[in-house]
Amino acid sequence: MSDTAPLTPLERIADAPADHYRVLRISELDGDGLLELSRFMKLSLSREDMLAIQTLYAEWGREPTDVELEVIAQTWSEHCKHRIFGATIEHEGSDGPETIHSLFKTYIRDVSQRIFDQKPDFVLSAFHDNAGFIRLDDDLAVCLKAETHNHPSAIEPYAGANTGLGGVIRDILGAGKGAKPIGSIDVFCFGSPDTPADRIRAQDVIHPLGMMRGVVRGVRDYGNRMGIPTISGAIQFDDAYIYNPLVFCGTAGVIPIADIEKKVETGHKVIAVGGRTGRDGLHGATFSSAALDTDSHETDQQAVQIGNPIEEKKAADFVLAAREKGLIEFITDCGAGGFSSAAGEMLEESGGTIDLDQVKLKEPGLVSWEIFISESQERMVLAVKESSLPELRKLAELYETELTELGEADGSGVLKVAHHGRIVCELDGSRLHDAPIRELRSHWTKPSTSPDASTPQVEDAGEMLRELLGDFAIASREPIIREYDHEVQGNTVLKPLAGASGDAPQDATVLRINGSKRLLALGLSLLPEWGKSDPYAMGVACVDECIRQLVAAGADPDRLAILDNFCMGNPDDEKELGALVETVKGIAFAAEAYNSPFVSGKDSFYNYFQTEDGPVSIPVTVLISGMGIIEEENHVIGASLRRKDSLLAIIGTTTGDLGGSVFARRNGIVEAAVPETRTEEALQCYRKYYEAVKSGLIRSAHDVSEGGLAVTLAEMAFSGKAGLEIDLCSLPMDDLAGKAAMLFGESPSRLVIEVAPKDFDKVANLFDGLPFAALGRATGSHANLRIEWGKEILLDQPISDLKAIWKESLARYY
Amino acid sequence: MERKPCALLLKFPGTNCDTETARALEAVGFVTEILPISALKPETLVGVSLVVMSGGFSYGDYIVSGRIASLVMEEKLGDTLREFRDNGGYVLGICNGFQILSQLGLLPPGSLVPNTIGRFQCQWVRLENRARKSPYLCHLPEEFELPIANVEGRLVTSDPAEAEGYVKDGAAALLYADDVNGSFSRIAGLQDETGRVLGLMPHPERFLYRRNHYDPDWDEIPDSEGSEWGSGYLMFRSLYQAITEGEKNQAEDLTSTAHTPPSLPV
Repeated sequence: MSDTAPLTPLERIADAPADHYRVLRISELDGDGLLELSRFMKLSLSREDMLAIQTLYAEWGREPTDVELEVIAQTWSEHCKHRIFGATIEHEGSDGPETIHSLFKTYIRDVSQRIFDQKPDFVLSAFHDNAGFIRLDDDLAVCLKAETHNHPSAIEPYAGANTGLGGVIRDILGAGKGAKPIGSIDVFCFGSPDTPADRIRAQDVIHPLGMMRGVVRGVRDYGNRMGIPTISGAIQFDDAYIYNPLVFCGTAGVIPIADIEKKVETGHKVIAVGGRTGRDGLHGATFSSAALDTDSHETDQQAVQIGNPIEEKKAADFVLAAREKGLIEFITDCGAGGFSSAAGEMLEESGGTIDLDQVKLKEPGLVSWEIFISESQERMVLAVKESSLPELRKLAELYETELTELGEADGSGVLKVAHHGRIVCELDGSRLHDAPIRELRSHWTKPSTSPDASTPQVEDAGEMLRELLGDFAIASREPIIREYDHEVQGNTVLKPLAGASGDAPQDATVLRINGSKRLLALGLSLLPEWGKSDPYAMGVACVDECIRQLVAAGADPDRLAILDNFCMGNPDDEKELGALVETVKGIAFAAEAYNSPFVSGKDSFYNYFQTEDGPVSIPVTVLISGMGIIEEENHVIGASLRRKDSLLAIIGTTTGDLGGSVFARRNGIVEAAVPETRTEEALQCYRKYYEAVKSGLIRSAHDVSEGGLAVTLAEMAFSGKAGLEIDLCSLPMDDLAGKAAMLFGESPSRLVIEVAPKDFDKVANLFDGLPFAALGRATGSHANLRIEWGKEILLDQPISDLKAIWKESLARYY
Repeated sequence: MERKPCALLLKFPGTNCDTETARALEAVGFVTEILPISALKPETLVGVSLVVMSGGFSYGDYIVSGRIASLVMEEKLGDTLREFRDNGGYVLGICNGFQILSQLGLLPPGSLVPNTIGRFQCQWVRLENRARKSPYLCHLPEEFELPIANVEGRLVTSDPAEAEGYVKDGAAALLYADDVNGSFSRIAGLQDETGRVLGLMPHPERFLYRRNHYDPDWDEIPDSEGSEWGSGYLMFRSLYQAITEGEKNQAEDLTSTAHTPPSLPV
């Protein structure tokens, strides 16, 4: 050993020699020294956090081991602890100055709790397990979980997205005593696939087209191999996502209600099942809690895990068989933080021992902390009765997966980790709950808007419609959808592409559930363009759109539950954080207005990148995904035109506000206000619509979203069943709505419905007093989309031409 | 009392269509067991009428699809599966199962290679029924739809003429109505010369119910069965009837010593 080499911050305070673990004398360090140590060990802990840890150990009268510091770093990471959603925020926004004590408690948990109280026995578990459960019927519950895998995907799109989906599938397997994954959703935000190379202002950044292909294939290869249909998704394209793409993966599951509650008791054995543990995926949790830069592409490779879906498939088969046989007492997945998080969660109350010598390794020579926090994929951790072990071993052999006994729960309340005959970690979990509460400041001022901005002239509405259908925001996702096996399990009854021609877009997707006559609808919404000028309105509108999709597909508006997934740039930037706070307030308001609770959520921060021109942050982005219960198969409603004799009607008010719309973006309209969501009126409409569904009065229904009413009508007609003759003269609208807003505005809460002529009056009567109007009729006499306004023909386009544009636009780039 | 025929569904690591395939088999009357491959022994086939290999990615299919599964089968069963067929047993391979059967040499020679577009294809296809006497296909119309979902579904033979020959001699039981993936002679499914072994890329188990169809107004199959069922159901029901009738006849034949092999349903 050279005695001239400078000692690293770690070596300066470690007990030499470096062994499988070390005791670190942090009591000697000052704030700067502690912060330097945190950075060197990649703990992503702040100076305050490190000082708090120092105080804790001073109280205990000892020094921490490196394993313990790593465990605390995982536990307190933004990824695991959601410290910004728990922070105290001094906010100045639309409601004046205020102090928010935890966004999560104030706007997510407490709002949801009020709704739970009104709907007893509907939400069966929320926020504490790996996914939230709602009741499907007397015996079964369904759950949904969505996560992001943004940073790994930025560095390695295929592996990042691959393990992103693999991870959320394990969340479902680890929800309750092991839910069965039945469907996945994927939502991506990328730069535009035609981004010129010179617009990318940093080295080593993967071009959006390569990003899109890599991410899609990563999702494809995991989902398809696992045999879980990827049935629903969305893609947003915006320059702001070039450096930091967003990759949301979600999975839904089903479980017998009796298997939701799980508990670890003294004497239970802790076992690991599935893949082995290696050096892949070290510091994933802490890595995702920091910003990206060009160096990330070099140095953080180790944080990206390697997926092996067949390993997970075998583990999944084992888990589901073991749960059906009643052999599981507690289960959780090995996700961020690896065994340390899983064992920590499992032994939080009971305490117990984990023996790292038992862990099966991919390679020799891993030191204690590496084994304990490695995020190697495809591992599940279970607590089981000792008497169940022989049968579990047989099952593991049958499904060819590896089962390892790791330790046991001992009732001591203390987590002890042994390795090579030493206790390398001894932590009282109850003392780790209280990470220092962060104190942040934020503000938000709505940019000024001008009413004039919303009334541009539309010279050629037909040409505008063609442009919009070819816009990447609207164009068909068919080439991507067909890469996903969305039919496996044989239960996909409303597919992402359907209608008479099998390639027309739908809103929600619907799954049949084995063993139930009820069905599950999945929907989602994100509107980042809206948030740029009005994050509060974005939050409300996202909840509205997700709920509207579920209701449109036939779900009961009183049996819906939603998830919130947030992504933002730098939370230390007061304006960016202000936008987040406004968004949270928006979704909370809407959830309460629609009486649809949150049951799970997740957030991702530091989605910004240091380019040559300075930091580029993503716009605050919220994904609202949701599940809805459909009472019976006859209630499932698609979004494609079915008959030549049908009449069409619109539900909901069209307003003049063009802000946030694809039309506004294409026409360079910047000062337009985004539309307000009239939640009270909307909920009344959704309930009336559901009555119409139950009475069998609705043939099809499509939501009005990106591209506005003209795009909605075109998409409905893409089934190829009929032409459409539409007259907008009785459209329910406000005074400011001009032709552009009528045709292409995106005011929320609107649905276009297809109704049989004989049923039309019945439907119209249902909506008495609500915004509802006849729009026109389907026809067999031509195959055009013809939209008139009184005597004026606004557009008259062959549907097949429109469809070709819509189908080709993205396909060319994929 | 009538004994219901038994179907044995083999599950490899990575097999992922077993639940819905078992559901389809049970819907038409088979007593069905899903058996993880680790538990398979030659004697497991005793008393079984039908062996099914369903869709999925056996062992990940990272090399040629179905290759490792076929090697494991040979190691576990030796000649037992061939003997099973020779003794009147039925063998069905769907998607990955078709790929495995091809690797096992239980079907006319051919390989399933990557689709011409080079990507996974999940879509519905129209099929031509070229084996209307097949025990599997006899109740299905001349044309019907099923979904496909695969990346290696293109059937090729060493010489395109060989594939043409399969169409002429009836080995090509199912053809794609359109060229969807570059399969020689548009072949979607092959049967062996006994007609009891069928391999097909499309997934009949995914069209068990009428509601599985993408068009809510789908109405191609007459309503005789009640409105619940789709085309896939008819395939499994055809097979069930062929097996139960065959077993009944066999039971009646037990008094006679003359053994006539079942006629070739070409």
